[in-house]
Amino acid sequence: MKKFAIFTILVFIFSFISVSIVMAQAKPAAKEPIKFGAIYDFAGGCHMYSESAITGIKLAVAEINAKGGILGRKLEYIVRDTEGKTDVGQRETMDLILREKVNFIMGPCSSGVGLAMQVKHSESKVIRIAGIANTEAQTVDKFTPYIFQVVPNTYMEATANTRYLNKKFPKAKKFCTIGPDYEFGRREETAFADEIKKLVPDAEIVYEAWPKLGEKDFTAFITAIMAKKPDAVHGSLFGGDLVSFTKQALPYGFFEKTPFIALYDLPVLVALGPDAPEGTLGFGRGCFFMDPNPKMMEFVEKYKKAYQGAYPDSWAVMAYDTLYLYKAAAEKAKTIETEAMIKALEGYALDSLRGKFIIRPLDHMGTVPCYQGTIAKDPKYTFKIWKDLSRIPGEQVIRPEVSVREVWKKTGVVR
Amino acid sequence: MSFDILFNQFMSGIARAALLFLVASGLSLTFGVLRVLNFAHGSLYMLGAFISYSIWKFLLMPVLGFYIAAIVAALVMAALGLLIEFVLLRRLYSRGWPEQLLATYAIVLMITDLVKWAWGGKFLSIQRPKPFTGAVFLFDFPFPSYNFFVIGLGLILVVFLWWLVYRTRLGDIIRAAASDREMVAALGIPIPWLFTLIFVLGSMIAGLSGAVTAPFGSVALGMDIEIIVECFAVVVIGGMGSLPGTLLGSFIVGQVYSFGIMFKPELALAFIFMVMAVVLIIRPWGIFGRPER
Repeated sequence: MKKFAIFTILVFIFSFISVSIVMAQAKPAAKEPIKFGAIYDFAGGCHMYSESAITGIKLAVAEINAKGGILGRKLEYIVRDTEGKTDVGQRETMDLILREKVNFIMGPCSSGVGLAMQVKHSESKVIRIAGIANTEAQTVDKFTPYIFQVVPNTYMEATANTRYLNKKFPKAKKFCTIGPDYEFGRREETAFADEIKKLVPDAEIVYEAWPKLGEKDFTAFITAIMAKKPDAVHGSLFGGDLVSFTKQALPYGFFEKTPFIALYDLPVLVALGPDAPEGTLGFGRGCFFMDPNPKMMEFVEKYKKAYQGAYPDSWAVMAYDTLYLYKAAAEKAKTIETEAMIKALEGYALDSLRGKFIIRPLDHMGTVPCYQGTIAKDPKYTFKIWKDLSRIPGEQVIRPEVSVREVWKKTGVVR
Repeated sequence: MSFDILFNQFMSGIARAALLFLVASGLSLTFGVLRVLNFAHGSLYMLGAFISYSIWKFLLMPVLGFYIAAIVAALVMAALGLLIEFVLLRRLYSRGWPEQLLATYAIVLMITDLVKWAWGGKFLSIQRPKPFTGAVFLFDFPFPSYNFFVIGLGLILVVFLWWLVYRTRLGDIIRAAASDREMVAALGIPIPWLFTLIFVLGSMIAGLSGAVTAPFGSVALGMDIEIIVECFAVVVIGGMGSLPGTLLGSFIVGQVYSFGIMFKPELALAFIFMVMAVVLIIRPWGIFGRPER
């Protein structure tokens, strides 16, 4: 009887152990999903861009999962809101890394928040791919191996704009700049001022306007700029601020008097409707009317089907590209382990919606194109789009390696 | 620096002042009588702008659409003001400022989320209504005619509020209530209803000013906080609860900002708060305000 009891207990113990071994083995067989954090700023001027990025993410994730995921693992994501605040961005980053154990991070929209987040996810050795926030400080001044960028950075964008503006108005010498008074605007306008002086030796910045982000009344800026009678104005205004600026500048005849370039992308042109100034110049980061290639147009159709006929803007395009970049790199590395992923991403050439671009191994900056054009009517659309398209490939305007290393010497980045 | 350039910059400042006055007058009115610092005033202004956008979009009338939308937005905000006063504010008059500020800040958060839910994060735009689409030429320099509309509306509001406060029996009661609440109540005047009326009027002004700002720029989240901060600067400089004070405060803030932008754009915003700091040191109750008893 006693023997029987011992035997029973032993059977139980053995079966328990074997079951747990089988279960432990079964776990990787069921394949855990790949989790990523989509940390964006659902506040102020960034709110809408962040929402757009999420639509691109949703579409890409559904597509990738329908075709078996990445390395046989499903893709899952968690959306977090930074409220446009650096401390909240850092908190959400740490929470996703520590509690949710995300494998990588996308976002944010605000360059300032991006820089703050970078400190945190780099400490935890988690990769982040930035598709909206584009301050050059992310990949140059404060470079860490854990950041990748698929949106033209402030230096590339300003350099491309400078060349374009110079080509359009070769005689222009007196320039004004107007940029929102924070990381992105400051970086973009400083880069423009430096670059235009290289192209046009006697160029002069006669007035710099720094309205606060979210400014509603640009009247005083407009009259101040017009009083200086510049040959051209470079603006890094975007979103609702650019809508306000444009409407307030219209009655002054600003656009007839002064060549002007700013971030006139899809959402701004849609919001402005008939108020969008034809003949004024726009720059952007790549949506269907900037780069109507077959792959992009196919994406537009898919997007319209998924979102009740809405058109995708650049922010959705870049979020979509980001996930396909991650997928391609993971398949090349055959793992999503961080160090292997970094190696796979470095030098990877992606056939994206915006054409082919390469992740430069040096600073993890994608050689993504910069777009410019002239605002014009098109009977096919209910809003104005661009004509006379210009596409400047990233390779032509990316900061040269020597120059990057010079900055690194100053900021103490060792690489 | 020629005269026309300075004049033009001055006019930009006047336009901004008119806009600020529209919003700040409602804030100052409620504070002057109710002694409640209504942090949600900017939110009512924002909601007014969003509502006027939706009505404008719905009506699709090129001329009258905007004006109807503005009036309806003002009325809807008046109704919301009635609700807020009746449900919440009424219980807070006897409490301290921190509690009032917390409660009205809660309304700010609620309205922000309401707007997020109903309109999303998009920035919207109303086209300028006819006949204020073009420009008027002053000294050969164009000046947007819509700005004249805003200035005109500001002036009408000044005259109306002045008439209401200084030339009517209701105004006598309002001023009496502002200086001695218990005494007025003792005379048999229903103070709670007077307060409701004032708050409704303040909310209506907020809604109207929001609607009027909509064709001026863009309608977007965050416009509430942006305006309330500047309005506080206006009423602190001019004197809380004083109508001429609010007018002068708007004028000073508008001009300081406008000329700040022209001469030292980096410090334009800082100049406003420097003026505010100086006023606070010399006359803590504002230029036209009365010291708290």
